[in-house]
Amino acid sequence: MTRTPPRTTPTPPHETLTRRTLLRWGAAGGAGLGLAPLAACAGPTGAPGPGTLTLGLNRSLVSLDNKLNQFDAAVTVQRAVRQALTAIGPGMKPTPVLADRFEMTAPTTWSVRLREGIRYSDGRPVTVEDVATAVRMYGEVAGSFVLGLFPELPSVEATGARTFLLHTRQPVPVLDRLMANILITPAKDNRPEELRSGVGTGPYRVVGANSGAGEYTLARVPRYWGGRPAVERVRVRFVPEESSRVVALRSGELDVIDTITPDSAEQLTGLPGVHLEQTSGVRLCQLFYNFRKPRDHPLADARVRRALTYAIDGESLVRDVLTGSAEQAAGVVPLSLQGAERTGSFVHDPARARQSLKSLGADGLRIRIMWESGEFAADTSVMEAVAEMLKDVGVRTSLLQFEPGGDILKWRQGKGGDWDVIGNGFPGPTGQAVTMLQAMYAGTAEDERTGDAFMGYVDPAIARRISDAATEADPAARDRELAAAQHAVWDTWPCLWAFVPKTLLARRTRVEGIGLLPVNSYDLTAVRLEG
Amino acid sequence: MTTTLAPPERPSAVSERHLARSSAARQRRGARVKLWAGAFCTALVALPVALAGLLPLADPNTQDLSRRRLPPLTDGHLFGTDQLGRDLLSRLLHGGQVSLTVGVLAVVVSGLIGIAAGSAAGYFGGWIDTVVSRLLEAQLALPLLMMLLLVVALFGPSVTVITCVIAVAQWPEVARLTRSLVLVEREKPYVAAARLLGLRGWSVLARHIVPNVLRPASLVVLLLLAQAVLLESALSFLGAGPQRPFATWGRIISDGQDYITTSWWLVTLPGLVIALLVVGVNLLGDGLRDRVRTHKPAKGV
Amino acid sequence: MSRYLARRLGQSLLTVFLTVSTVFVLVRLAPGDPAAAYAGPTATSADLARIREEFGLGEPLITQYGIFLRDLLTGDLGTSYSFHSSALDVVLERMPYTITLSVAAIAVTVAVAVPLGVWMARRADTKRELGANVLTIAGQSMPDFWTGVMLLTVFAVLLPVLPASGFTSWSGLILPTVTVAILQLALVSRLVRREMTTALASPYITVARSRGVSERALTWRYALANSAVPLVTAVGTRFAALLNGVVVVEVVFGWPGVGSLVVRALETRDYPLIQATVLVTATLAILVQLLVDLAYPLLDPRVRLGKAA
Repeated sequence: MTRTPPRTTPTPPHETLTRRTLLRWGAAGGAGLGLAPLAACAGPTGAPGPGTLTLGLNRSLVSLDNKLNQFDAAVTVQRAVRQALTAIGPGMKPTPVLADRFEMTAPTTWSVRLREGIRYSDGRPVTVEDVATAVRMYGEVAGSFVLGLFPELPSVEATGARTFLLHTRQPVPVLDRLMANILITPAKDNRPEELRSGVGTGPYRVVGANSGAGEYTLARVPRYWGGRPAVERVRVRFVPEESSRVVALRSGELDVIDTITPDSAEQLTGLPGVHLEQTSGVRLCQLFYNFRKPRDHPLADARVRRALTYAIDGESLVRDVLTGSAEQAAGVVPLSLQGAERTGSFVHDPARARQSLKSLGADGLRIRIMWESGEFAADTSVMEAVAEMLKDVGVRTSLLQFEPGGDILKWRQGKGGDWDVIGNGFPGPTGQAVTMLQAMYAGTAEDERTGDAFMGYVDPAIARRISDAATEADPAARDRELAAAQHAVWDTWPCLWAFVPKTLLARRTRVEGIGLLPVNSYDLTAVRLEG
Repeated sequence: MTTTLAPPERPSAVSERHLARSSAARQRRGARVKLWAGAFCTALVALPVALAGLLPLADPNTQDLSRRRLPPLTDGHLFGTDQLGRDLLSRLLHGGQVSLTVGVLAVVVSGLIGIAAGSAAGYFGGWIDTVVSRLLEAQLALPLLMMLLLVVALFGPSVTVITCVIAVAQWPEVARLTRSLVLVEREKPYVAAARLLGLRGWSVLARHIVPNVLRPASLVVLLLLAQAVLLESALSFLGAGPQRPFATWGRIISDGQDYITTSWWLVTLPGLVIALLVVGVNLLGDGLRDRVRTHKPAKGV
Repeated sequence: MSRYLARRLGQSLLTVFLTVSTVFVLVRLAPGDPAAAYAGPTATSADLARIREEFGLGEPLITQYGIFLRDLLTGDLGTSYSFHSSALDVVLERMPYTITLSVAAIAVTVAVAVPLGVWMARRADTKRELGANVLTIAGQSMPDFWTGVMLLTVFAVLLPVLPASGFTSWSGLILPTVTVAILQLALVSRLVRREMTTALASPYITVARSRGVSERALTWRYALANSAVPLVTAVGTRFAALLNGVVVVEVVFGWPGVGSLVVRALETRDYPLIQATVLVTATLAILVQLLVDLAYPLLDPRVRLGKAA
């Protein structure tokens, strides 16, 4: 142990030399080691060039495929590279993209024709086989968000070089809208997994990607089959901190930030060089009651649930906490969805709340509100404000906040612990009221056995109505049926309060032509850069 | 020592002024400045926090949505109001009670663990020393903050858990110091005497050695307290703070971070309060250490 | 020397192994379900069951551990749930950013702290030195996330001269580096001051001075060179700690390093990614420590490895 290997005693000058060189080499090597790999990905300046559009996303875009990963802003970018047969355009109407014909020929059959002359960015033509493979791959991947939107996946029957039929077992009247979620990739390259590379038919192709950091550079495809996009390059950056995004937009480091919070919108309003865009949204944020309460619990009584809603000053919440960037819900789903019905509104009347609660014997009620951080914008502030409003009508409230990744799902399914109200945001990516209604209010006793009925909401009559509407091929009859179901749901008072956040986006004024859709995405080909 | 021997009338070239400029005097003065400044800063924060319940302050949880984000010094809100119209000063002081309680408790716990482990390792050596030293070393390599976040996720963000987590993060410092002190102490004659008198290892350690190392070891306590307050606020900042409605310092800052471009006080003032307290505690600890060093130059730490 | 090296390497391997194993167990004991985080709000129990199956989470813990160890031997750390690709690759893609930030922060710290410490040692116990001392303590006392947010406010909001987040240009490195360096400054400068005070009072300095060596050479060539070992130890330890410890600063500045990756991996309960991160950072930190130890005999010929301890 004490023995050291034989070592010739070096002369002093040599010794100092070793020491010096070591220090020098160490410093240089350390710096080089750390900095070298990055030299490639960092440019000289942070500001985007004249022909480059820089988008700041608050979630990391893991890939440009959407089998496992689809959130609003991602759709914008994913569709600039890969396209689907259709897209959901303005007014929630399906617009043809790769298909130039998409018609229902029988309740369970659709006839589709691919557009003539469309090619992938590498020049290969789009074939029916590509579509068939894409549908199959989406079906095979586990845990797909897209798959959950489909009541069933259609089967593809080729009838010609460019034409094919889509078959379903049950009628799926909104299939033309649902198919907007299936992105087409060459059959040879498609696999039942998130594709990390490869080509699409879109106006842009990927020229640089660092998916770990969520950064992408897209460049215009020279021979795009459609109209040539105005912007030459698009850079996608992942900026998780909201405050950083705001600051970066102010300084011109970013050109567009989407899905901004009400507070960011307030901070950006009126700033020179910044413009805000907003449309009514398709996401519904609810303070949903727990429908798994025992029969004798006050909250099992619709009248108590209604009485509590009088305690909430929705107007003030929208004005002061959400800074005007939301609307109180006036129906059980956002009114911008196709097939949504205006069913009533929330009224603020604390005296009535107190009185009703007393007459129903529910005074002295204690309520536990739970939610996950980030479930919706300003979630914490909303919850703290609601708790204070409930206190004013004599209801004691405790707040239970889950951090992302925590156990809230178990609690939601009634397996975690007891709760009374949950703060929940629900997306409406298909633009259809029926999809959202099915997910929330069509739960059956069988679903509930595994805790899968939405917050325990089981009402067989309503569930039947909704499922009937979902398979109704005639649009007018479907809307009638759905409207009736929505009125029935409203009368059960499922929420303490609900609101529909507006879809907000901020851009530099040099960016023009962002047609922000309620589904919170926009068409990159229409965007222009001025100056 | 020499001054008392010298007769007062004897002439000396060393005047009072020379003495005052001597290195030792300057060191003492420096320590005194640090002590006073530290005590002042600490008291400036700690006293109002301790007396938060008695001060004429708005309730920390009462909201007034029509008075959101008022700048400081408006409508009787000394520090302004937060995003829900709550009085920021009141929230800071009440939040400070949680943060400080966590800090103090964490230091006590880490002190106990550290002194026990460090003195056992130093006195007994052998496998105990190996295990403790390995643990100390391993903790250096661990992604500590991440482990803390994990444990908080595991056991829930209660005050107890966060206290323990911070204590675990801090014990190595105490242990390392105690170990080195005990290593010196154990070679001293009084230990040999105690052994000769037939005392067993544990009682020698507990009754003779530990009391002797306690004083120097306790000097790091204040420095640890400063770190504990910082660590707690970092955890709160990353979302692993005590469950709401407890308003801890880190949580107030992370909630206010979204408003930096419009409401500077929501982040700046809480940060200043933390910094003031931690500076105070650090200075106090530093001053104490300096004073011990100048008084007993032989016993370096 | 080689025996010493072998023993140190063995110990390091053991530490890494124990660390990773602890994390393996901890993440699985923690509440939260990766399947739920993965599947999103609309998932049903059936979906979750299928995903758990896919991730291999249905197996008993000990089986999962066995599989993990077996894969570990082949260098396979599993597939990240949220990135859908090799967890190790994701971490390695991010690592250069963290290393860059740590190297830059340490370089700035040393560049400022060493001259500052030397100055403090030469002007020991003057009013100015006391002032500098208090200032570094103040720097050390500010919560790093607060310092970061403040710097951000001043240099990206009020005077928008520096980018607010990310690493798209070298100027993006400035603010995070300064934030980290402010925190480290006090520690290193005070160490230099202490070592230098001792060194400057040593007899060899007096001898050298009497032989007419200039004060400058005395300070930098004689005294500082003799303080190299403790200095390198401290800087090495700080560097190793930074590799693990820049989490908060990375989050504040949206720095695409492993720190912000870890926070996200924890949020999505991405077990393979958490494990890969811990493995890589722990290995790196230990490697740095080892290198520091190995550098001792080169820095100070009096040190013989394997003699002490």
